[in-house]
Parts: sequence; C-alpha cells; structure tokens
Amino acid sequence: MKVGILGYGVYLPKYRVKVSDIASVWGKNSAEIEKLLGLKEKSVSSFDEDAVTQAFEAASISLKHANVSASELEVCLVGSESHPYAVNPTSTIVAEFLGVGQNYLASDLQFACKAATSGIIATFGLIACGKINIGLVIGSDKAQAKTHDILEYTSSSAAASYVLGNNLNESIMQIVDFASFSSDTPDFWRRDGVRFPSHGGRFTGEPAYFAHVMGAAKNLLEKTKLQPSDFSYCVFHMPNGKFPKEVAKRLGFTSQQLAPSLIFEEVGNPYSASSLLGLCAVLDIAKPGQLIFMVSYGSGAGSDSFVFKTLEALDKKRKSNQPFSRLASHKKNISYIDYLKYGRKI
Amino acid sequence: MDVNIIAGSTTKFGELWHVSPRDMVRQVVEDVIDQAMISRSKLQAIFIGNMLSSSLGGQDHLGAFFAEELGLSIPAVKVEGACASGGLAVHTGCLAIMSGLYDTVLVVGVEKMTDYKPETVASVLMGAGSEAEREAGLTFPALYALMTRVHMKKWSTTEKDLAYVSVKNHFHASLNSHAQFPYQVTLEQVLKSPVIASPLKLLDCSPITDGAAAIILTRNKKAAIRNKTVSIIASVVATDTLGLAEREDLSSLKASVIAAKNAYHQSGISPKDIDVVEVHDCFTIAEIIAMEDLGFFPKGKASFAIKEGVTKLGGYPVVNTSGGLKASGHPVGATGVKQVVEIYQQLTGRGGKKQVKDARIGLTHNVGGSGATAVIHILKCL
Amino acid sequence: MISPVKIWRNQKKIKTLLGCKGKIISWSKIHVPPAGFENQAPYVVVIVSLESGKNYTAQFVDWEEEHLRIGQRVRAVLRRTREPGEEGVIPYGVKFKPL
Repeated sequence: MKVGILGYGVYLPKYRVKVSDIASVWGKNSAEIEKLLGLKEKSVSSFDEDAVTQAFEAASISLKHANVSASELEVCLVGSESHPYAVNPTSTIVAEFLGVGQNYLASDLQFACKAATSGIIATFGLIACGKINIGLVIGSDKAQAKTHDILEYTSSSAAASYVLGNNLNESIMQIVDFASFSSDTPDFWRRDGVRFPSHGGRFTGEPAYFAHVMGAAKNLLEKTKLQPSDFSYCVFHMPNGKFPKEVAKRLGFTSQQLAPSLIFEEVGNPYSASSLLGLCAVLDIAKPGQLIFMVSYGSGAGSDSFVFKTLEALDKKRKSNQPFSRLASHKKNISYIDYLKYGRKI
Repeated sequence: MDVNIIAGSTTKFGELWHVSPRDMVRQVVEDVIDQAMISRSKLQAIFIGNMLSSSLGGQDHLGAFFAEELGLSIPAVKVEGACASGGLAVHTGCLAIMSGLYDTVLVVGVEKMTDYKPETVASVLMGAGSEAEREAGLTFPALYALMTRVHMKKWSTTEKDLAYVSVKNHFHASLNSHAQFPYQVTLEQVLKSPVIASPLKLLDCSPITDGAAAIILTRNKKAAIRNKTVSIIASVVATDTLGLAEREDLSSLKASVIAAKNAYHQSGISPKDIDVVEVHDCFTIAEIIAMEDLGFFPKGKASFAIKEGVTKLGGYPVVNTSGGLKASGHPVGATGVKQVVEIYQQLTGRGGKKQVKDARIGLTHNVGGSGATAVIHILKCL
Repeated sequence: MISPVKIWRNQKKIKTLLGCKGKIISWSKIHVPPAGFENQAPYVVVIVSLESGKNYTAQFVDWEEEHLRIGQRVRAVLRRTREPGEEGVIPYGVKFKPL
C-alpha cells in the first residue's frame, strides 16, 4: 500500500526571547553567540502551555488541512522530550480533546529530537501493511534548558502535526522510502526525575549529530539509488544554525536546496518539532512533482531519513493552511524575566 | 405577616484577632436577650447565617456548634447562601414564625475571615460562584469588575461615579462606632487606590472582616423600646444563575429586581415610601446597580443621584447609614443580619449620630455571590 | 490536589468549546489573584459570547492592549488551567485568544 501525507499543521507560541537579553544577564557577548549559534531569538511558550496544548493546536490545524475528521483517525502518536507526565500518555489527552473517539491506537514516543519521525515510520508501517487507513503523528516540545547553559539560547517550543493516509489522490506528498541509523551515543540526556537535560559539549558534534545524520542519509541514498541533485529540497534537524548547513554541504546538497527549511533562524530548536517544522516550511513553497530529502536526529542517538515526493493535492490544499512564515511573524518579544516565569523557573 | 423584631445587636466589625466566632456570637446573643428583656427559655430555635466555617475552619454542623456554645438545646440550623447567608437566615426565621411552629426565634449571622491569608480567603469566597469562574482564576472583585465594565459601556458610568459611593459610605461609617473603617475618605484617595481587578480599585471594594450580628424575632407584639414596634412586612428571596456567563444582562441583578418587585407587592410599599435603606455594596458598583434594580432610580440614573448627595444622611432615601459593606465591613454571613439590625435601630430611634429623622419604613438588600441570590426585607414601624 | 475524576468528567464540556469563536462582552485585568494563581498575576479574564449563543467565562491569553475591549473577536484554545501541584493530574481547559 502506498502511504502519503494528507495534511500538516504547525503551532508556534507567540512569544520570543532575544539572545541578547539572555546574554546580557549572564555577562556574555551577545554578538558572538548570535554568530556562533546562528539565531537572534527563540520561541517561548506561555506558562500555561505545554507539549499537550501545543500538540492539540497543531493537530487541529493538520486535520483541517487534511480534510479528515478526528473520528477517522486510527492511530495517534506523539513524540516529545517534554511529555508533561512520566507516566500518563500525552497522545490520549490530545486525542480525547480532538474527539478521536476510542477505537484507535495511542502511544507516546521518546527519542530526544527524533521521537516524532520514529512515529512517522511506525505509522507508515501500519498503513502500508493495510491494517489502518489514517493516522496522526505529532512532534511537540516545550523545551527546557538549564539557565546559563549554551542550550538556553536555542531550546525552544513548537509543535508540528502530520496526518498520514493511504489515499494518494488526497495526499500532498508520498512517503517514498526511509532509512535509519542508530547507536548508543550519550551526547545529550536527561535522567528520570531531573528537570533539565545535560550534554557532552563538543561531543554532540562529529560523533553524534554528524555521524548519525550522515549515516542515515547515506543508507537511504544507497537504498534508493538517488543523488542529492535529484532533490528540490533538503531538511535536516537543526540544533543550531551551523550543523544543518555543514551536513548538507558534506552530503552534496546546495544551500539553495536547504535554505527554505531553516526555521531555526526564526524560532530556535523546538526539539521533536525541529525537522518536521522545517519540512512544513518547505511544503509551504514546494510544487507538486518534487523530491524532498529529510533527515532527523535524536540524541542518544539516531537518525531517520526520508524521501518524499510532492503530489498534485499540495497545490489544491494550499490555501487552507497558513504558511510558516506568516505564523512566525505573529510574535512578541518578552524579557528574560518573563521567559523564566513562563518556564516556571522562578 | 406577623413577625416582629424586638432586639438587634452587632459586634464591632474589623480584624478581631483576639476574638473567636464563639466569643462574637455569645456577645451579640447575650446582648439581644438583655435588650428584649425575655428569659432564655423563650427562645425556641436558632438560625445561623454563615458561609465559610467549613471551607476555612473545617467546622460544619454549625447549628449544633452554637447551640452548645449558647447552652440552648433547641432546634438549630445553619443557613448558607454565600454573602446572602445572613439575609437567608432572617428569612428562615420569618418562615419559622409564620409556620406557626415557633413563637420566638433567634437569628444570628457570623463570619471569621481573618484567621487566614487574604489569597486563601479570596479563593474560598469563590465558592459563591461557578466552577468555570474558579477555574479561570476569578475573584469577587473580578466578578463585579466584569459587571462594572458593562454598566460603564451601557450607561457611561465613570470611575469617579463609583468613587462617590465609597466616599458617602465612609462618611456614614465615621458616625458608626461599630464600623471597621470609622473614618472618611476623599474622592482622590479612592481614585488613586491600587487596582484590584480593573476597573475596580482597593477603595471600591469591601474588606475582609470578622463580625457577628443577632436579632430576636417574635410573633407576639411586645412593646419595644420607646413604644415602637418594628415589624417585618416583607421577606422575599429570589435566585438567578450561579455564574455571570449565564446571566441575561451583566449591568443588572435580575434576582434583586424580582425580589424587590415581590417585596413591594407583599408589603404594599413602593420605593418612594422608604426612608432608610441598607443595600449590598460589596463593591461600589453594586450600590449603583442596586439603587436601579430596587426601583429607587431609573436605569443609568443612580450614580447621578448618589453624586448629588440624594442618598446621603439628610437626603431621601438615606442609603447605608451603617457605612455599608464597604466602610463598616463585610463579615460575609453576618452582613444580612447586621443590615436588619441597622434598620431596626433606625426605626426605633437608636441610630445615634447617624439617625435618619422620622424613619418609619426601611429596606434591607442582601446578595449572594455575584447576584445568584437576593434577599429583601422591608421593615416598618407600626 | 484536584480530583482526577472531576477533571475526567470535565473533558466532555471542554471538547465542545475548543476552537469556538465569539466576542468579548466584558473583561477585567486581575492584579490581586486568589490562592493558586499568585504566579500568574496580573492576568485578564473575559466573558465571551460564543457563536453558539452561549457565554463562557475564561482567561484571555496572547493579548495586546488593543484587544482589551468589548466586542473583540476571539477563539477558544486549549491551555493548562489550575495548578496541579507536584503530584496532581493536570487540568486542561479553555482560554481565549484574540482573533
């Protein structure tokens, strides 16, 4: 059975905190940090938002875009590293509010920033084998970082939702193929009961991000016998402004292929929503009949790579969705103090 | 109706740190028994108006609690209707007598609010509202603020109009030794006070208060003080929706309107006959809305009259000689009973410095929550 | 701790309100909050007249000063409501956002 994406939805919180406001509190050179990391501000959720509320909003939009009613869903998977409960599924809370009913499979996924893409692969499997027709996969995070840590400048909040189905006529794109690359690499982690994650500094670079993104990318390119030049666009997980550009270059993609996906520059790194949000931004401007290459990355570590092919319905359904660029422009800057309040750190 | 008041008493209202609910009730009950010059054994039932004994103090079963405290093993019932608990207790006392089952009953209103932090009290007071209101983090000032804004839009009421109510009631309170704030305030002080829930400011809002009040009701016409007999000629209750969202008009309390209509019908009295009034000014806007709901002024016209001093001592009708809830204080369960005590004292010439000349007919208006319950009593000197 | 059973029963009502549109019929900015809402103040509460014909009272979020007016169009969104404390089930409910 062929599997396609029937629709997608984005949720961005309204608030932003500037790198310069954070840097000035800790006595750091803001210009240096902005240059190093590649962003000027990141998205911040309000104190009454969390992975559940964001997932719900994104999912509602994706269902409308897909022209699917919640009761048609047979699967709901939510990937996050900020699930509000250690035990109690985000997926059922979200599905209940969406009105999915009770005859569905729900599950929560965790794999740092690639939790949701694992969900896409799992749902693909259920659809491809003919067991289900329509499923929902959401990546949502209200990322937390230790104050004064480098991650404080980049870890942000957002959600991206995708409706998958077997009706290619109604699909905006087809999931053509995928591959994965996994290993035990402790580059970034959070122990149970501990509030903020820890990381291995520069260890998160070559042995972690690059090894796995390149690994999954090479696996897929070999499998599909495709070359970077066959693709119109590429999307890579964005932990900072430099890594996706560097890995694109190493794999042989051009900066033009990469540029539309770089949501990091607007909102920072919303963890499980990162690569999925990049994909949404690309889909906002892509045309039917184009190939898109995407590789996610989750610390711990692993990458999932995908080949997507856009279809006719992409144009047809375009006006029933607000593009990422418009959503990102509805923003308001808040102070570092308010950022701490909203993150319940003070 | 054949219900007469033969005694009325209140404690000082305020932050009474050293005084317990038992102390307060004992004080007012001993006082009314003294005043009425009857023996304790004549009291056949007690009705206690109180809202927060359970949520703040963990004490239910208040009837039994006070019956024991007073050494009176007689039928004892707690009556609760949020801030209208006192008025409802008076109403229940009237029903008891009119039923024919009791000749003489004691009605007490009591509230102890200062044992807990204001934030805690603000939270439990919202037991008077709806779940949605509690979930949204509303407070009483917010509920009335929401009504204020609509009244402002509809009738061009201003913050200054609200402030005049506070100034008047503080003036009356300065003549009331039992008031929590027995001093005047200026218009500027009210307008400059900090915002609690926009547009209501600190001096628009009644305070957190401890206090108790008691009255003795009897069927038998007893010659009361100075040869005056005070009868209750109307005792009416009306209800409206619990939460504001379900109301028809946010600039009026339908329960007050209905209760007033029924009270005037029951007593054959109309607003122009009334000399002295105690209305439920939990917030300044509430007095403005009440004067319109009770038919004293047309809609949108009450603030003008108040500003002109029509309802101040020396005017007609005189409203809230006690200082109202704003300036004499608002011990929730006690207020409804204290209002009756104030009118009783006015009608028997015991109003002291705040005496309204030749007061013969008075009205009390007690509201529960943001208007879900309204209780009106009309008292007449026979 | 809020009763998990009450939270569970409440969900049905919340579901029907999510995504609904309406307009503000009154609002107030609360500077002095009740217990449990201390860390949120000041916040705005509104009564909204929904397109369905009913009114609903809730908090107002993501607003600017210009949205604080009677007649402002709004939409119902899902947010956390009361503080669950360290251990309790998290209550979610409806708040309004300007359109």
